[in-house]
Amino acid sequence: MKSIRKIDAIPKLNGSWKFLDDYSYKGMIHGQLLYSTCHHGIIKQIHFPDGYDLSEFTMVSAADIPGENIVPEPVCDQPYMADKEVFHFGQVIMGIAHPNRKLLREFISNTSIEYEELPAITDIKECLDNEKNAFGRELTIDHRTGKKPDPNWVHHHKIYYTPHQEQAYLEPQGMIAVWQPKDKIMFVRATCQCPFFVKEGVEAIMGDTIKEAVIETSEGIGGAFGGKEDFPNLLAGITSLLSYKSGKPVKIVLDRSDDIQITTKRHPARIEIETWTDPKTKKIMKIDIDYRLDAGAYQTLSPVVLARGVLHAISGYSIPDAFIRGRLFHSNTPSNGAFRGFGAPQAFAAMEAHIDNIASDLKMNPYKFRKINLFKIGDEFPTTQPILEDHLSNCLERVIDKSNYSKKLKEFKEWNKTHKDKKGIGISIGYHGGGYTGNGEKVLNSEVKVVIEKDAIVKIYVSNTDMGQGAHTTLAQMFFEAIDHPREKCRIQLPNTSKTPNSGPTVASRTIYIIGNLLRKFAFKIKDELGFENLEGYVASNQNEFPREFRMNFVQDPSVVFDDENYVGVAYKDYSWAACVTEIYYHADTYQIELTKSWSVMDIGKVVNQKIATGQAEGGVLQGLAYGLCEFFYKPGYGRMHGFTDYALPTTMDLPEIDVEFIHNDSPIAKGLGEIPMDFPAPSVRNAFHNATGIFINEYPLVPERIYSYMQRATDRHRQTQTV
Amino acid sequence: MIIKFILNKKEVSIDVDPMKRLLDILREDFGLTGTKESCGEGECGACTVLLDGKSVTSCLVNAVHIDGKEVMTSEGIAKEPIGKLLIDCFDEPNAVQCGFCFPGFLVTSYHYVKTDGEKNLDKIKKSLSGNICRCTGYQKIFESVMLACERKPLMNANERE
Repeated sequence: MKSIRKIDAIPKLNGSWKFLDDYSYKGMIHGQLLYSTCHHGIIKQIHFPDGYDLSEFTMVSAADIPGENIVPEPVCDQPYMADKEVFHFGQVIMGIAHPNRKLLREFISNTSIEYEELPAITDIKECLDNEKNAFGRELTIDHRTGKKPDPNWVHHHKIYYTPHQEQAYLEPQGMIAVWQPKDKIMFVRATCQCPFFVKEGVEAIMGDTIKEAVIETSEGIGGAFGGKEDFPNLLAGITSLLSYKSGKPVKIVLDRSDDIQITTKRHPARIEIETWTDPKTKKIMKIDIDYRLDAGAYQTLSPVVLARGVLHAISGYSIPDAFIRGRLFHSNTPSNGAFRGFGAPQAFAAMEAHIDNIASDLKMNPYKFRKINLFKIGDEFPTTQPILEDHLSNCLERVIDKSNYSKKLKEFKEWNKTHKDKKGIGISIGYHGGGYTGNGEKVLNSEVKVVIEKDAIVKIYVSNTDMGQGAHTTLAQMFFEAIDHPREKCRIQLPNTSKTPNSGPTVASRTIYIIGNLLRKFAFKIKDELGFENLEGYVASNQNEFPREFRMNFVQDPSVVFDDENYVGVAYKDYSWAACVTEIYYHADTYQIELTKSWSVMDIGKVVNQKIATGQAEGGVLQGLAYGLCEFFYKPGYGRMHGFTDYALPTTMDLPEIDVEFIHNDSPIAKGLGEIPMDFPAPSVRNAFHNATGIFINEYPLVPERIYSYMQRATDRHRQTQTV
Repeated sequence: MIIKFILNKKEVSIDVDPMKRLLDILREDFGLTGTKESCGEGECGACTVLLDGKSVTSCLVNAVHIDGKEVMTSEGIAKEPIGKLLIDCFDEPNAVQCGFCFPGFLVTSYHYVKTDGEKNLDKIKKSLSGNICRCTGYQKIFESVMLACERKPLMNANERE
């Protein structure tokens, strides 16, 4: 619980901490990507502009690839560079480098590509509404009883859509490759979440021409949120190829508009839910969920997002008869990828709205309806994983209590009767399974290394990156607090694939949960093994034993047994739980929702560093609220957004007061924190708007133009009814 | 074109393309990489510097605009007493996350604390509205600037200027 200060805050503030673009190498030239501006077509010809000396440029295309033209991913189907046919806007066709960055930009923006255009699917609904676009493996969770629904049960059937969301890390994607021909080593400096993924990415494209790729991250990684999980692999591959061909260090930093248009986003989803509710007991008795994701042109890591999506699709409710079907859909847009929440925010968007729809139909208080249907100890997930704790219910009770929900619900109802503007209050709940899904952590077999020096300095070697979440401060803290070692004697090595063992990627809320708890255990193990009370004293009196290296692997709890074929069993060992209440003020004249206050209560287990955890949670909650409220990425007829001018990120003027509280923090284990704050807040905004106006909108974000069109439809319907 | 200006309290001169962006001049010609490029279109504030005491986004300022003027970057501000106070106030509540936007926030909040300094949340929000942060949800940033406003009167009079 000690809120020690971050190790990197001061150098980040005074500008001395180096981010990717702050590094320079002798003789370094600049690279950029030439990408498709056609959604689907055959490349006929590439026209370079006149007036440039082409011999000054280094160019690489699919034909130059010595290794394989397929990016390593859970499903290997995406080429680094298109060969003859492009399958989406933004598909990389060439990498081009030149010593002058400005001249290179001009050259590329004046290069034109001729295509023979082919049919393409670019609209989200066009993609997701058509069953013919389904591709890849279908996932099902079958917890059906086989019984027919009772005719007295109330049937609800609704379709929910969620949009893309842009990670909007402030530091754009970037990579530097330095070819070292003497040792046949490709050194790559990366702003990324997963150095070992980048290593695979470089080694796959370079094939036998290199002996090894060595990846080291920049000191600073300027935000990632999932966006730097897999795109860096492709970027590193092309940057390496340019360095190999030119014989020079090459740096590629994407312009913001390129970054926004061509990199991975949160998957748009279409989630269709059918439920049957017993009107007497108010219990949902049966549910059928059809969960669809727009994967983009290639599957890449979408199957893993789909897996998490279906595993969180039922939200926190115990429904005896459940069937969940998950499918990926193909479109001619860039592959969607990882974004904080990873399929879960879409799941809660639908289910938490659906719950409010049923409650409203049954004329019930949404809190009381949730309470009746919430998981209880002894219930099970649709995968049959037993529910072992009632912490989700504790989160809900606490947030209802501290937000004064029930009182406000009544007050607002009265107030709304006499005002054109409306006040509303909405609830949502959520949870997030920590670490890789199912048997993933077993397969990863993460390893950590610790070296104790002669001066009792402890150096921790892990491949997990600090992209702002404070991982390196917190990981060190988990180790030194365990054995009461001084903080200043504990260091974390900058992730480097030739120095740090593979402790897995920095994803899936696993860094503190898997690696942090492992380091804590490791500290106790070393203490036992050496038999010291005080490490400094021990090292001083046993100098000949040091420096000494220790290694340890993560061992998965034997209770985690998951059947990947049938989706039965324990999908995640530990879940973080959360509940949220958001209060809004709706301005009727401008169709604007103003968020006034948002309360979140979360159980993330032991809180290692209160201030770091609170800060991370507050940031996630704002991302979550903005997902529901204002972040618009694609508009039919306009296409994708181009930058921070048309993609509306929340500013200091747009946020409500955000109240975050952690409960059950006396737990011995620190659970996942990274993603859960993003999972659950958005539905509370929609539910609050529904509460305020009685109007239900089945898609995000709730921007004034959308509200306006729904209001118009509601007015038209009202007029029609009156006419009839 | 040769331009002369004052950079972090030192007189400098440089022969440069008059249209070169101040952001690139700082990063490429003076090695001051604390000023960051994020959006390149004046929306996010990551490249904020002070130009004659006013906060501007350096991606929208060209070389011709700075001739004869005074430029302060995060590196310069970090050495000023109010800059040091702010750094400590950002550090204390662990407000900094990825840190890419923070040199920009340091410059803007320095401008606020120095020229106004009232511990007023609404005013602080408004003054920082040109800086985007994606990690923090801003709350700890407000907390830090409020803290700096609270502590500013405790500084020596000559340090407050």
